[in-house]
Formats: sequence, structure tokens, C-alpha cells
Amino acid sequence: MMTPAALIKRAAPVLACIGLLAVWQVASVALKNDSFPTVIEAVRAIPDILGDKESLLNILASLRRMAIGFGVAVLVSIPLGLLMGRSRGVAAFFNPLLMVIYPVPKAALMPIIMLWLGVGDVTKTLVIFLGVSLPVIYHSFEGAKAVEEKMLWSGAAMGLSPAQRLVRIVLPAALPEILTGCRTGLVLALITMITSEMIARQSGAGNILFNALDMGQYDTVFAMIIIVGAMGIFLDALFERARARLVRWSEPQFDMPLSFS
Amino acid sequence: MKARQNGRGSNDAPHVCEGEGLSGRFLAKLVLLNVRASETRYGMTVVAARSSEWMRPVTSQEPASAIIEIDRVSQVFQTSARKDHLALSDISLTIEEGAFVSILGPSGCGKSTLLYIVGGFVSPTSGMAKIKGHAITGPGPDRGPVFQEFALFPWKTVLGNVMYGPRQQGVRTAEAEAQSRALIEMVGLKGYENFYPKELSGGMKQRVALARTLAYHPEVLLMDEPFGALDAHTRTRLQNDLLTIWERDRKTVLFVTHSVDEAVFLSDKVVMMSKSPGRIRQVIDIDLPRPRRRNELLLDPRYQKYVVDIERMFDESDEAGPVS
Repeated sequence: MMTPAALIKRAAPVLACIGLLAVWQVASVALKNDSFPTVIEAVRAIPDILGDKESLLNILASLRRMAIGFGVAVLVSIPLGLLMGRSRGVAAFFNPLLMVIYPVPKAALMPIIMLWLGVGDVTKTLVIFLGVSLPVIYHSFEGAKAVEEKMLWSGAAMGLSPAQRLVRIVLPAALPEILTGCRTGLVLALITMITSEMIARQSGAGNILFNALDMGQYDTVFAMIIIVGAMGIFLDALFERARARLVRWSEPQFDMPLSFS
Repeated sequence: MKARQNGRGSNDAPHVCEGEGLSGRFLAKLVLLNVRASETRYGMTVVAARSSEWMRPVTSQEPASAIIEIDRVSQVFQTSARKDHLALSDISLTIEEGAFVSILGPSGCGKSTLLYIVGGFVSPTSGMAKIKGHAITGPGPDRGPVFQEFALFPWKTVLGNVMYGPRQQGVRTAEAEAQSRALIEMVGLKGYENFYPKELSGGMKQRVALARTLAYHPEVLLMDEPFGALDAHTRTRLQNDLLTIWERDRKTVLFVTHSVDEAVFLSDKVVMMSKSPGRIRQVIDIDLPRPRRRNELLLDPRYQKYVVDIERMFDESDEAGPVS
């Protein structure tokens, strides 16, 4: 049996969503603008999109690119970030490079990448990869840098080689920070996924959205926004579950609630 | 004393009183455990497991021989102002096997640096340190550090931390676990095996750190102000327990501290250091009977004289100002 306070805490994320939708509904009714459908109109368009085989395939293609881009980025960025955090030389080489790339919007690189690699999956996946890499590298770097020297010394005294120390001490010790980077990376993957499809229109969730915009099907546009938002919430909650499980040993007792986990 | 809790899950662990001291009954159990472990491994032959080495009776000690030799070691650091700072100047010191030696001095005298050089964590600018006649070039399991900062692996439980060294040395899981559980009991933390370090108090963390280091049987314990971050009460308890463990085991200990009482209470030999540059001022043999019991020692005029004499020597050097 839950106390009323616990019940409210539990329902808070759902209440927040309902509140947002309510504001939208009131605003759209008040504005009476064609390009701003009500929540009800937008929600009604969702089954049309998800029921259509081609749209569904488009969305799945987007998710596949996102998964590959995110996965490869994480696999490359974590080792690089950890090495940078533990080796002065590696950091001195990569940090300036990353500082140049960081502020450039990855979508701005798309036209050039399209010239080289075409408008297909490779280009879009590469842009997602770039978008995800930087926060993951940065957080892995910071996490590795902060690992207590004496913890590494304790490992060295037990006979761990430098490589073993990197994998078995630096990696787990930096994991909470690394996963913070991955969480940011996941959201960025979703954003770059949509923007890449906005620029290289060929397939994908972004393609559905911007085609509908061109044709003035505003209910579909907003339905897509809801779908993308829901995907974000779902993926983030899933990730947060996994994260909390992996770094249970480091969580403070009274942590602030994150999202829907 | 508040009742100790069993099992984990409660987050008020830090408020639990420090674990109980050591008991002979327990050590007997530990011997049994080792015998049992070897029986299962080698049939009926009883083979002394390696972990019982550290509690070998004192009588079996061979005549003292040098285990660590520090030969004209100097250490220069670059300060943030890019100036050279002479942290250690021409230190020579020999430590005999089985001795409890404290390095005592004010903060900034380089005493921890000297310990790190013996540990192989820091290379001296000039001179060299040797263990059993071999030059020290890096860390190794023959020298086990215990740091003021504990340096436990926070993603591992108490048991996981203590088992880490033996597992790394290739000891089979079941054996490593049995030995580690015994060590955890010895340092008074039975019932806390599955706690994470964040759930423990400072004193408990340092007990885990000590058990973790003892678990891989180093020949020399390197203790870097191990009780410096603890409150006075916890500190006293840990000093007593360390002494109990050491007096059964007589492993060589190099112990860095800035507390005169602590150094005299624990040591066979106190190495007094002075600051800027770090130099050995004097080496004092502490000729007090063992086993030492705190309540007896504090009343012993010989103990009091050592403390007062050493304090006076430090005061004199303070008044004289740094030698430049």
C-alpha cells in the first residue's frame, strides 16, 4: 500500500506530461491557427502513421542508423576518453582536435559528407556517430582523470599491469561519469538522427516529418513530434534503468529523480 | 557499544560502532580454515597454506637481516612556480626484517615520498632503494601499501575488495574467498562482507584496506598515515588491533605518521625526519617490552620519556628554524 505522498512522487512524470499536453491543447484552441493542431487532432494522426507499413519501415530504418551510430561511437569513444584521461601525451594530441570539432554543429558537416559518401545510410550514421562521440569522449576523459592515484597504486601493488589497470580499475571507477556522457549521447543521437534526415531526405522518421510539413499536413507533423518525443522518453528510461543497475555502488542515498525510470 | 547489524541494506552503517577487537579464538579458527582448505586440495596431507605465514609464532623468527635498504636517496620536485624543491636529501636507511619502523616528522618533510619510493610508486631523483638486495623499479606484491585515503575499489563489496589481490595472484576463487572471509573476520568486520565501501565508516574502510593488503601476503607493509583521517577513538582502536595482528605475525612494517605517541606506541624504531630539505635527524630504538598493551604503556615512565624526548627534539628544531 502506497502512501499518498509516494503515489504523487510515482505519478509525477506522467502528471508533467499531461500538464504539457493540456497547455498545448488550450493554446491551440485559443490561437485557432491551421498550422497548430490540437492535441486531439495530432494524437488521432498517430495510428495512421504507425499503421502504415512504409512509415513504420522508415522509422525502423532511423532507429537502426541511430543504434549503429550510437553503438560504434560508444565503443570508440570510451577507450579513447580513458586513454586521454590517463596519458598526458594522448590528451595533448586529441584535446585540441576535439575542441575544434566540439562547437561545430554536426548537421553543418552533412552537406560535405553527403558529397563524399552520398545521401545514404553511411552519411547519416556517420553524423550520428560524430554527434554521440564528443560527449562520451569528454565524460570518459573527465572520469578517467579523476580516478584516485592511490587506487591505481593499490592495483599496481597487487600486480596489475598498466593495461589491466586501465580496464579493471580506471574503467569501473570512471563508469558513473562515462554513463552520464552516454546518456547525453543517447539524446544527441536522437536529435542528429532527425536533423540528418531533414537534410538528406530519403527515408526515416525525419523524412516523414518534413514531408508532412511541406504538404501542410500539420496533424502528421505534430503526431511525428509526439512519436519522436515518446521514443526519446522510452530510450532514456531504458538507459537509466541499465545505468542505475551498473553503478548502484556509487549512487547517493537520496538522488534526484531522473525522467521516467 | 551499539549492537552490530548483520546483513546489508541498511544505510545507517556508518553509525555502527567500530568492530570488536581481535580474539585468539578467532585466529585459531583461521588456522583450522587453512588446514581444511589444504586438506580438500591435497587429500589428507596437511600443508601449511601460505596465508598462515603471517601468524607464524615469533619463536621461529630468524636472526634479523636487512630487508629494505635505502641508499643515498634524494628526491627533487618541481613546484608550481617551476622551482626545484628538494623533498628528500641524501637519505640512507636500513630496515630489518620483521621490524616495525615508523617514519616520524612534520608535514612536508618528505616522509610519505620516502614510503612511495620504497613502494616503487615514485622513482627517486638519485640514489636507490632495494628490497632483499634487489633494486626497486616499480610496485610489486611483496610490498603492500595501506593509504590514509583507503583507496578501496568502490565498485567492489568488502569481500570483493579483499579477494582482489589473491585473485590477481591466481588463487582459485573458493580458496581466495575462504581466506578473505577469515581476514575480514580478523579485522572485526564479520557481517559486512557484502557492504559497499560507501556504506562503511572511515575506521571500517581502513580495516577493509588493511585486510585487502594482508590478503596477498606482502612481505613488507607500507602504511602511509593510515589512521590520520580517523577520529581519536577509532584511531586508538585501530592502533591496538594493528599491534595485535603484528605481534602475532611480525611482518616488516614501514609506518609513516606525524603523531609521536603513535610512533612510540607501535614501533621498534622511530626515524625522526626534519623538513626542507627532508633529512633523517635521528633514529631512535624504542626499547619497550612486547606485547604492548595501551593501558600499561601509557603509565610506563619509559614510554613517557620517549614521547617527551622526541617532542622536545622536534620543538628545538622548530625554534632553530629550517636549516638552509
